[in-house]
Amino acid sequence: MRSFYPFLLIAATIMTIGCNSRSTTTDPASSDTKNAKGDAGVKPVFSLAWSEYPSWSVFGVAHEKGLIDGDEGKTGPVEDKWGVDIVLKEADYDTCLAYYGASETDAVCMTNMDTLAPSLSRSSVAFLPTSTSVGADACIATDTADLASLQGKPTYGLEMSVSQYCFERNLELQGKTIADFPFKNMDPGAAAQAMQTGQADIQSIMVWNPFVMQTLRTRDGAKVIFDSSTIPEEIIDMVVIGKDALAREGGDAFVGAVVDTFYQINAMMADPKTADETLVDIGKKFSSLSLEDMKQVVQQTRFYATPQAAIDLFNGETFQTKTMPQVVEFCESHGIVASKPTIGFDDADAQVNFVTKYLKPATSK
Amino acid sequence: MDALDIRHVSHWFGDHQVLHDINLQIAAGQIVAIVGPSGCGKSTLFRAILGTHPTKAGEIYADGERIIGPSRRVGIVYQHYTLYEFLTAKQNVAFGLKMDQTSLPFRCFKFFQWQAKRREHERLSAAFLDKVGLHASVEKYPIEMSGGMRQRVAIAQAMIMKPKVLLLDEPFGALDEATRSDLQKMLLHFYQENLAAKRNGEIPPYTIIIVTHELNEAIYVSDRVIGLSQYHQKDFKGSTIVYDAPSPVFHPDDIRDFDRFIHQRDELRKVVFASDDDVNE
Amino acid sequence: MIRQPVSTGTRWILSAIAIGAMFMAYEAISFRQTQKNPKQTVVPGVTSITTGWQKLTTPNKRGETWLVEDVKATYGRLFLGLGLGIGLSIVVGVAMGAYPWIEALLVPPIAFFAKIPPTAMLAVYFVLFGTKLEMFVAMVGFSVFFTLAQSIYQAAKKDVSDDGVHKAYSLGASSGEVIYEVLWKQILPRVIESIRLQIGPAMVFLIAAEYVVGDVGIGYRIRIQSRILNMDVVYIYLILLGASGLAMEWALTRFRRWLCPWFGE
Repeated sequence: MRSFYPFLLIAATIMTIGCNSRSTTTDPASSDTKNAKGDAGVKPVFSLAWSEYPSWSVFGVAHEKGLIDGDEGKTGPVEDKWGVDIVLKEADYDTCLAYYGASETDAVCMTNMDTLAPSLSRSSVAFLPTSTSVGADACIATDTADLASLQGKPTYGLEMSVSQYCFERNLELQGKTIADFPFKNMDPGAAAQAMQTGQADIQSIMVWNPFVMQTLRTRDGAKVIFDSSTIPEEIIDMVVIGKDALAREGGDAFVGAVVDTFYQINAMMADPKTADETLVDIGKKFSSLSLEDMKQVVQQTRFYATPQAAIDLFNGETFQTKTMPQVVEFCESHGIVASKPTIGFDDADAQVNFVTKYLKPATSK
Repeated sequence: MDALDIRHVSHWFGDHQVLHDINLQIAAGQIVAIVGPSGCGKSTLFRAILGTHPTKAGEIYADGERIIGPSRRVGIVYQHYTLYEFLTAKQNVAFGLKMDQTSLPFRCFKFFQWQAKRREHERLSAAFLDKVGLHASVEKYPIEMSGGMRQRVAIAQAMIMKPKVLLLDEPFGALDEATRSDLQKMLLHFYQENLAAKRNGEIPPYTIIIVTHELNEAIYVSDRVIGLSQYHQKDFKGSTIVYDAPSPVFHPDDIRDFDRFIHQRDELRKVVFASDDDVNE
Repeated sequence: MIRQPVSTGTRWILSAIAIGAMFMAYEAISFRQTQKNPKQTVVPGVTSITTGWQKLTTPNKRGETWLVEDVKATYGRLFLGLGLGIGLSIVVGVAMGAYPWIEALLVPPIAFFAKIPPTAMLAVYFVLFGTKLEMFVAMVGFSVFFTLAQSIYQAAKKDVSDDGVHKAYSLGASSGEVIYEVLWKQILPRVIESIRLQIGPAMVFLIAAEYVVGDVGIGYRIRIQSRILNMDVVYIYLILLGASGLAMEWALTRFRRWLCPWFGE
């Protein structure tokens, strides 16, 4: 009958949507397997989702420099060395978290705090700490002399995030009662803009870079009440892979390649000949900041530039016995996680497993 | 005092002359038909009489007072009824009474007095609708009525205001033959009321100007026919009155015999409408 | 041949099939996600409705529930904003339809602003109105205003013929009476229809603004809960938004039919 063809079309559409492929990168996924850079014909494909942040933009820079090729089906020298095909997916931070939670990406760049919630449903392996916030998260206030006079005034920042964690940890360190300092939700970009444009009812904000730098520069009388430099190595930016993805064939090689890439770029940052240029490149991929701004940024977001620094962190007693339990406690008490995920260090059964075995210098293999 | 006095009315748009030196006096109680070809300026003249679009030259007086804007002295019925869709027949006819006798603040703040007045208006309105034969349709909305019914409502709506002059702009053009002849008879009834009033020494209540394409209708319904035409042999451009003569008066019960005025009709056609060889450009 | 009618029974069956297909498609997606990760919470099964409902209706330490607070906040902002926008557009739209000089004056800015997506102007609203209730009300109000004023003034121009207006004057009406008794009453059903069409977009803009600013409201809750992958809460709110939108449209249609029985559909 004539009405059969529309039905056929609809059925075909539904089937196509149902079986759609998992890759939805911002780079067009190319199914071309033969290309100039390398033959990706039989290499296992793994995806890494990243968002603009100093130590995560490193991966975007690596793609630009040709160390790796973030498109599917194309590989750079590092990928060829390890025998994997890394697919980069750039998105904003919240979207990256959603990708990871929905298993749309194998690995993701996120903070230690944000790893907890997804890990309840997807066991995670944190294999590479990239940086720590040492002043990159700050509480900025106007018309407020000091912390004492901040009492009772609402501070605006992203609820249930590292901003709130940093805020409450600092209050704790100064012996204040957290309930006396209300924290109200607002997008950090909007909060920074509100303060910069002089809105009277936004007198205190808790935001991260680049909003910290921009606000201090733009708003007269804005000053830092406290920042994450009082809690170094508590807020850790890192790269995490799902335990299920790691278990796939090529998982170990993928992790090794990511680590390798990271330290190669860090080496470029350390080498005086290429340091500035690399910073500029990273700056382009982080809110388009200039070289001078980037120099300040990397002081406030301190990179774990060498494998040893990273190993020291994960193996450190403070991190294992104080920092992570504190972070878990914060997440549970604030309803970010319904129950406490198990944290392990080289413990294969933990829901969040911090491992150091992949942290080898770039020159190995 | 003439019901309508049109003096030296001319109108033009830029270079285009529409009306030239129209002079017309209409006594109370007359039913005047105006016929003319397309583009003869009938609409322009009507709008001038109504007062919405005054002409560039000349004056028009209704019952001695100059017409400078729309007022209740001149009523109008359009070809396409133009009833208010959101009012029932009864409310449509009562509309003029409501507008003329009360104001918005009155209706707002003196609510109960207004309700009493409204009931009075609706009573009068229902009576009028009865007179035009729409007794059964007082609560209907225009969308529920046929063309003929709607036109009767429109006529009642205008007439209830007792205007000095009632303008009918091609009122039956959109109707079928049977309805048209019913409504023509209705106009003849109104003329009989005029005659009755004159016999009693009163001023006849209905002075009507009807514009129509239909020559038969014009002569049948009216007691005076005016021809307005831009096709004339005179040495100026624009329409002017080329024919003005009485027409036979029919009684509603007479047979509609159009052959009675076959000569007048032919004469009218020759004078008013262009023949192929003397079109004036 | 097109437009062959179908019986009411067939209509019901087809609608049921569509709704059933929707559920099946959802379950299929959920199943696929669970294949990837058995403990995933991003596309939960239908049982998530109960867990989400519990999270929304469990009172916190101050005795408030998310559901009540969010609904109060969001719908409060929506109705206040709609009230502002509708009131303003009726006044301006009718004025523009009645007086060509007002129309000539206001058409350029109104037509221009109607084209700018309000979500793109969020930053401007923050700067102008702050981050509290006034901003939400202003945002919803103005984003509704520009489009609605256009609809109203075009209806005011086109729905009433010049003849009808002239006749009203000849029946003794004053200009104010013509505007209210003729113009307004004639366009009223169209105004209600236009309002009905603006509720959806108004909600879109409001949710977008709540995503960025505020610590209470449906948009806020959806954002925060999505971040921590509590999608069961999100889906309940989506269902709520859909259902309430339908309810509002239905109510407006009934209202219009009651108020303007003469208006053929």
